[in-house]
Amino acid sequence: MPNPRLTRVRDTLGRTRATIGVTLSRRDGQLIFGLVTMAYLIGYLWTIGQLAVGLGGFGITLVADPLLVLGQSEGAFSYRPVARIALGQVTYLASLNTLIGGGVAALVGLNLSMSYLAWRHPAACGIRQSSSGVIAGLPALLSGTACCGPVVLLAVGIQASSTLLAVFQFLLPLAVVLLLGSLVLVGRHLPVDRR
Amino acid sequence: MVPITAYIVTRLPRRSFLAAVGSSALSGCINSGSGGKEFTEPLELPAADEQLPLPTAADTLTEEARSGGPPKDGIPSIDEPSFLNPESVDFLDPGDPVFGVTLDGVTKAYPQKILVSHEIVNDSFGGTPVSVTYCPLTGTAQGFYRGNTEFGVSGRLINANLVMYDRTTETWWPQILATAIPGPWNEAPEIRSLQEFRLIWTTWEAWRDQHPDTQLLSTDTGHAENYSRDPYGSYNPRGGYYDSQNMLFPGRVDDDRFHPKRVVIGTRTVDSAVAFDENTLREAQVMAGKLGETPVVAVYDDRYDTGYVYQNSDEQAVRKEGGRIAVDGETYMPDTLPLARILAFDAMWFAWVGYYPATTIYA
Repeated sequence: MPNPRLTRVRDTLGRTRATIGVTLSRRDGQLIFGLVTMAYLIGYLWTIGQLAVGLGGFGITLVADPLLVLGQSEGAFSYRPVARIALGQVTYLASLNTLIGGGVAALVGLNLSMSYLAWRHPAACGIRQSSSGVIAGLPALLSGTACCGPVVLLAVGIQASSTLLAVFQFLLPLAVVLLLGSLVLVGRHLPVDRR
Repeated sequence: MVPITAYIVTRLPRRSFLAAVGSSALSGCINSGSGGKEFTEPLELPAADEQLPLPTAADTLTEEARSGGPPKDGIPSIDEPSFLNPESVDFLDPGDPVFGVTLDGVTKAYPQKILVSHEIVNDSFGGTPVSVTYCPLTGTAQGFYRGNTEFGVSGRLINANLVMYDRTTETWWPQILATAIPGPWNEAPEIRSLQEFRLIWTTWEAWRDQHPDTQLLSTDTGHAENYSRDPYGSYNPRGGYYDSQNMLFPGRVDDDRFHPKRVVIGTRTVDSAVAFDENTLREAQVMAGKLGETPVVAVYDDRYDTGYVYQNSDEQAVRKEGGRIAVDGETYMPDTLPLARILAFDAMWFAWVGYYPATTIYA
């Protein structure tokens, strides 16, 4: 006798997978996903300072022991750069943060591309209209604050207390959890015709 | 740093790469700042003859420590610095701040825009090991003799000020206090003060003009950082945290007599402290004051836009005369008066009064 709760979870995950599949199989879904993911990643790297105006010139420099440095933390969910890539006025620092940011960006991209399709083509390609799709955009906005660090507090005149620092440490994982939850929510409330 | 081509030649197979990444990420205990160096010899640290004052019991200071965000060595010190000749320098504007020093006949300058990412440079002058340190949150640049150890960044702040640690005994050393206090990695250190030397906070243009033979810390630091980016603000022109009434981390005391980031030139001895407002000194050129019961005099040096503090126990007449300072009729350069000079350094007002609440201030 199958466990009904387990069956419901499997069904929900299956629907989510199918919704993602349908979204990414459409050209406009791919476009929104790609654009949002790239824009969010650039914004993420910019706010953590790993993509910024640099000293100018072109070149790549690598730390002497990149494998050692790659896993070294410089803060919660923040890792030391292993390479500096100067691209004229812009300098990019390569680190595990790009992978972390890329993961969050992909989740944001998925959420927004699914929301877009639900809004723009509610009855097309098997995705039927549901107001729940809009919810997917909210965690993306929240996760945008996950990468700014305490320096952002200066602008609003708030001192960094131990509690606030702890909250900042959890913003990134919180954003990931909310984005994953949002995907599942959309998958559950946006029924896909698996034709 | 190595060129990318050199790395490509020696790169690991993918499986080895992933294994190494995994083990590095999981271990979490790499002494990242020391470049793998181990400090197993007993600590030989040149200590000051007398312990500098602490604003409260050392244990209480330890309890006041708070995380600044990054973990231990999360702000990596520069342990193998390299230097450039002035004519090779293309990444500094004339007005960019540098911290300059001449020791043992060697003249060097350390750009603020590099130190803001590292806070400590473990260097040597003519074979004498030293640490050049900078705390961006308190605007303090101080030099220390480091003996046979290195200093690293603990990741903790007291009075919003950098807490260093030595890599032999892991004792905490708050930068401005320059004195050991207990910490979680060494709960019962010998309480003593470091021997210090003066770093002159000036501009690259001013330093280069006075010291055309200077060496300048290179951006080739062994770390991949963007040295055009100061996360706190800017000094050229002054902006962001360095100019704002807002604080990122609170100071030890609330004192609203001056803007918290106002720059003072402070000096302290075993039992007292005094500070001179830098703007006022710039206008007055010479200011008399007292350090405890001892008469002192502060003089301005327009070559570097900085000031020095001298003991003036006999209260000799000191005044500005042309571009020089006259002491009892003879004239001298501001940094060579025939008086006993006391180590002084720039600090933001909130930081100075936080550590030395009983300080005298002349403004």
